[in-house]
Amino acid sequence: MSVRKSATASVRHLAALASTTARPTTERERERRRIAVLCLPFFALAIVAGFVPLAMLVRISLAEDTIWMAGWSLEAWETLATTPTYRRVAWNTLWFVGLATAVSVALGVAVAHVLEKYDLPAKRVVVAAVSFPIALPGIIVAYLIVVLLGRQGLVTNAVAVATGGAPLDLASATAITGLFLGYVYSLLPRATMVLRGTYAEINTQAEEAAHTLGASRWQTFYHVTLPEIRPGIVAAVILTFRSGLAIFGTVLILQSHRVVTLQIHEETSVGSYSPDVAAAIGLVYVAFIVAFTFVGLRFVDNDAVEI
Amino acid sequence: MTGPTESDETDSGPASAAESERADPRPDGGTTESATAEKWSRSGTALSTAVGRPLLVGVVTVVVAFLTVPVIVTFVSSFAGSAAGVVPRGFVTFEHWQQVLGFGTHGVQANAIPGLAFSLAIATGGMLLNVVIGVPVAYALARYDFYARDWVNTLAILPLVPGLILGIAFVQTYPNHGRSALGLLAGYCLLKSPYMVLTVQSSFQSMELVRLEESARSLGASWPRTVLTIIIPHAKRGIVAGCIITWTLAAAEFNFTYMVASGSPDPFAIFLYRNISNATHLQSAAAVSVYFTIVVAAILVLQLLGNRGFSTAQR
Repeated sequence: MSVRKSATASVRHLAALASTTARPTTERERERRRIAVLCLPFFALAIVAGFVPLAMLVRISLAEDTIWMAGWSLEAWETLATTPTYRRVAWNTLWFVGLATAVSVALGVAVAHVLEKYDLPAKRVVVAAVSFPIALPGIIVAYLIVVLLGRQGLVTNAVAVATGGAPLDLASATAITGLFLGYVYSLLPRATMVLRGTYAEINTQAEEAAHTLGASRWQTFYHVTLPEIRPGIVAAVILTFRSGLAIFGTVLILQSHRVVTLQIHEETSVGSYSPDVAAAIGLVYVAFIVAFTFVGLRFVDNDAVEI
Repeated sequence: MTGPTESDETDSGPASAAESERADPRPDGGTTESATAEKWSRSGTALSTAVGRPLLVGVVTVVVAFLTVPVIVTFVSSFAGSAAGVVPRGFVTFEHWQQVLGFGTHGVQANAIPGLAFSLAIATGGMLLNVVIGVPVAYALARYDFYARDWVNTLAILPLVPGLILGIAFVQTYPNHGRSALGLLAGYCLLKSPYMVLTVQSSFQSMELVRLEESARSLGASWPRTVLTIIIPHAKRGIVAGCIITWTLAAAEFNFTYMVASGSPDPFAIFLYRNISNATHLQSAAAVSVYFTIVVAAILVLQLLGNRGFSTAQR
């Protein structure tokens, strides 16, 4: 009874809110209408292009007949839950992207540290070099990895000359190491950009104090600098991990590790066409990303996360 | 990772003395260096002090080389005549550029210009739509404090659906229009809107919004007029920067395009994919270089506008 009463009350409250927003009489209500008007175009697009397709994805995953979208069945979810292949794909994705994130963020800390603390001769060039790859799509990154590590690749041939091996045996672009470097190529610039923002804000006086009190460089970094940049590191991990999960073009070309995006692609290709399973994987994937983001954001100020 | 563990803060002392000009080379660099070295001599024997700086600079050098060398090699070799050996030979020829742009004499004769124009037109449409949806929400987030502001903020700056999934769902939801130019446009706009929102938002945050708005209102302007003729023109720079970023990223957006696009003309991303996955090495190099040229042009314009390349972080 009380549940129903409170539900009625909140519905009435919402209706009152909507009517005052539409026809405001006080300045506060007018402000609310302004906010609603300003947010409206974004939400219109988000609903049409984002939420409705997601709802459709739920329907596909539950459909018995995926061509006419008729009937209901849990078959796709059962397949997903019982087939060991999918568990392996999930594990593949998590450890691979996790490792790439760890390496990218660690290197990002190093680059941001050097850019902030040292006087480099060509600082602008370094900044440009680090920010340029953000604009490159995954397929181009894959091509660049082939340029470095393919059979005609620079690194391959340099190693071949140095060790006397054959370039054909040394080519690692389509091995898992090549794919890993491709991930790092895409993710490192994003991590560095977030960390540079954090480094620009930290208080250098505490570091000086640590120095004068006799701390070594490493002690200063570990006990003073690291706690100060921790929010930046968390933000960088969130962004990098999310971006890493979404990488598709690089994997599509190099094809050396079965991650979730490649699996989804396979489920929608001719030959192994099963859109209901693809939709189910996609939903798990989106749910994981959303959950990860919101759990991650609890550890960090909202404004620290920028793309 | 050993990178950040071996760090030092050689410049902290002098940096605080001249905090405002930290980015510039110091005129008195030599003397302050020696003074600080004396002051910190107690920690001079620590391992991290001795090897930290060279090691970190080495790491950064390797990182920068890893990021830039393949780009430069690709661009240079797109002008080479043959790539039979390790080092491309036969400079300078524009044969491969002509080939990928559709003016070649042999091989695939497909003209890339319609696809390129199609993609650029869609990217432009997505960019304009982004101005319409991104600028108002950025203004609301920067100016007002309201219920669920944090949620709206998260939603606006972190796209929660990856392009690949969005593509699959899009085609199924709108079977008639999903694969059309309109579908691509809506998808690009939604996927790239965070860049617009963030750039414009940081532009708004650097303005005194409340004061601007109150001055305009007290002089008799209505609220819509204030926003359209006072506030938005003040954020022009951020809007233009956001436009360039969203445009460039949408021009080569692959994951969504790959799932959604169908048939002719091929969008630019599919053109790149075809040229990378089945074409000769140098032809791929030329195709990729077409995009590099676009990105470099965009970055140069961004630099002219005082933005730091493809980053929305302004601090």
